[in-house]
Amino acid sequence: MRLTDLLDFAWQVVRGYRGRTFLILLAMGIGVAAVVMVTALGEGARLYVLNQFGSLGTNLLIVLPGRSETAGAMPGVLVGKTPRDLTLEDALALKRSHAIRRFAPLIIGAGDVHAGTRVRETPVLGSTAELMAIRGMEVALGRFLPEGDPRQSQPVCVVGAKVASELFGARPALGEWLRIGDRRFRVIGIMAKQGESLGFNTDEIVIVPLAAAQALFNTEALFRVLVEAKSREQIYYAKQDVEEIIRLRHEGERDVTVITQDAVLATFDRILRALTLAVGGIAAISLAVAGILIMNVMLIAVTQRRREIGLLKALGATGRQIRLAFFTEAMLLAIGGAAVGLVVGELGRNLATQLYPAIPFQAPWWALVAAPATAVITAVLFTVVPARRAARLDPVQALSRR
Amino acid sequence: MQLADFIRFTYGSLRSHRLRTFLTALGIAVGIAAVILLTSIGEGLHRFVIAEFTQFGTNIISVAPGRIQTHGASLGGVNTVRPLSIEDALALKRAPYVQVSDPVVQGNADVKYFGKSRRVTLYGVGPDFAEALKMRVAVGEFLPQEDPRSARALAVLGSKVAREFFGGDNPLGSRIRIGGERYRVVGVMQSKGQVLGFDLDDTVFIPVARALEMFNRESLMEIHVTYDPTAPLVEVEQGIKRILIARHGAEDFTVTPQQKMLEVFGTVLDAITFAVAAIGGISLIVGGVGILTILIIAVAERTSEIGLLRAVGATQRSILMLFLGEAALLAAIGGTAGLLLGWAIALLLQLALPALPVHTPWSYAVLAELVAVAVGLAAGVLPARRAARLDPLEALRSE
Repeated sequence: MRLTDLLDFAWQVVRGYRGRTFLILLAMGIGVAAVVMVTALGEGARLYVLNQFGSLGTNLLIVLPGRSETAGAMPGVLVGKTPRDLTLEDALALKRSHAIRRFAPLIIGAGDVHAGTRVRETPVLGSTAELMAIRGMEVALGRFLPEGDPRQSQPVCVVGAKVASELFGARPALGEWLRIGDRRFRVIGIMAKQGESLGFNTDEIVIVPLAAAQALFNTEALFRVLVEAKSREQIYYAKQDVEEIIRLRHEGERDVTVITQDAVLATFDRILRALTLAVGGIAAISLAVAGILIMNVMLIAVTQRRREIGLLKALGATGRQIRLAFFTEAMLLAIGGAAVGLVVGELGRNLATQLYPAIPFQAPWWALVAAPATAVITAVLFTVVPARRAARLDPVQALSRR
Repeated sequence: MQLADFIRFTYGSLRSHRLRTFLTALGIAVGIAAVILLTSIGEGLHRFVIAEFTQFGTNIISVAPGRIQTHGASLGGVNTVRPLSIEDALALKRAPYVQVSDPVVQGNADVKYFGKSRRVTLYGVGPDFAEALKMRVAVGEFLPQEDPRSARALAVLGSKVAREFFGGDNPLGSRIRIGGERYRVVGVMQSKGQVLGFDLDDTVFIPVARALEMFNRESLMEIHVTYDPTAPLVEVEQGIKRILIARHGAEDFTVTPQQKMLEVFGTVLDAITFAVAAIGGISLIVGGVGILTILIIAVAERTSEIGLLRAVGATQRSILMLFLGEAALLAAIGGTAGLLLGWAIALLLQLALPALPVHTPWSYAVLAELVAVAVGLAAGVLPARRAARLDPLEALRSE
């Protein structure tokens, strides 16, 4: 039997039982589509998170006060105070390192912002002009905090888009005065809309000069220092420099934690990849069920087509050829089902993209390969028993009995 | 047709094709097993998280400065222009139904003892902290009851800190240095282990006023308030708000009852469990397609039999019921098998990985079985109707 004959034979069978073929295609299609869509969701979430981290800036290191002896705790949750503060002077000393391009000290806190009679509680961020370059922020109107000695402060502030509209309504906010706590600030800039970024909404913050924030919250202690290394290769040296410089300033005590953006990114990447793989695997269980269905239908087909198989054998077809015929049929069904599934999965992905344009839904390449491959492999595996049963039929008995 | 006949007939047709029945039921069984296993893990996780939280008691309310929440924590805990003071905490003791009100400030400090040094999580707390969070003292006592505004330099160690510094020796009465100041050890806490990433044994507790001084800060991070468990939560919350608003002139703080947090966690975890179970349930749908396929084939095979039945007086309705019954029975068998399979795997998982919380509630088992039967019935409708609509004459002639 030639390959074309094999294919033709299988095609005749597949066409001959349309209802049956349709149902098997449906079962396989559901399985493949489920795997594709679920992994697309997972991959979309992963890419979304990575993008969010990427938008924080490049080659970023975060210096935070305090250090934990026990491993395991996420460094990000290390909140709270330390007896020896991380100060502005510590941050300024970082200028000595050759691996560091720029840095921005950060103080954060909750403040009640008054403008006229309107009051709104927002996060208040104290920082320097460098913050804009490090975080890749954009100013829509006016300008960002002025350059200059961070120890001195001018009574100016930059507000998020939402804060501006909430406090001033349709009035232009630029040049207006607002009051935070017991200090007054003039609005010199309005941030471009950036939206939510890892739970922190830049549309809803007020940025003031560092010295002003120090006075406002009555604290010397910095919350974080954001450091940008000169290049990707320099990140390691920058980390070492930061640790060493601050250790020397803190009387030889290592009491800061330096985390690199890459480390955080890698952790998230790993977790989300594992999750995607897990849900993809769960969805793939349905492919096994579809495989069971194929086996069942093939077994019935062997019984129904006894005479046909008997005739083939009587005409000289070997057991191997009969087996091949069944495998070809199963593979045709599986490939057809996989194709249907891929198309449906793609449609579902498109729909999801339309609904949530912010998240880049995209099935990972391994899922696009693995889902059809799994479909074909399960189909072949589950056809082994029926195919062997068919191949072993005795032609005389198969033809004689009705 | 009598019920007994009906059952015998269905049973007979399932028995005559044993392999077919087995495979069809297997399809459903795999689906149900997946759903049961996944929901068991989800439910186990849910219980685990709830247990982690409720070990501190359920009747706690946390009051934090500021009203903005990011990452689930109050930003006011970091810095705020509207501080919460120790006096606020003392004032909350007078709120209705309140049992204990305890100020908290948390930080990270270096602890030294005879040349050994260790960075630990430092908690500045009031004398009622242990009672509020249901934590037990293993040796000695907790910080004594005294005016929290002018407390003595006493410290209570977490079990890990005590072990690292003193080994098997008795730490009581020893003097340690925390952030450059000298403290006398008066107690050691019982081990609590890690709770959601925080190691509660790598901690030192000192009086709150001293911690505020050490950290050079004026605001507490939060105030833990416990209330009479039988009291209505709304009134407790209102009482707390009334007192603090009277003291501050505005609502510049956040009141979070533990129960609300538990509810939030509960909904999130339930949603995840549901989503994962739904993904697992896709295989159930595929199993349903399997039943549909097999029944359609069966109807085609048994056309003459159906014709005979109709000829001897079986109504369309009874033929319909016959095939629906077969579908439901197939699904029910598969469902039961899947239930046992999923349950067995869950038990094995529990034995193999004791750390992984697994729990299968009875309600889920019943629900899964019902879902299986429903899937079977839904899959049976089409073939059963096809069988019922067969023309008896045509059907008989097909022989």
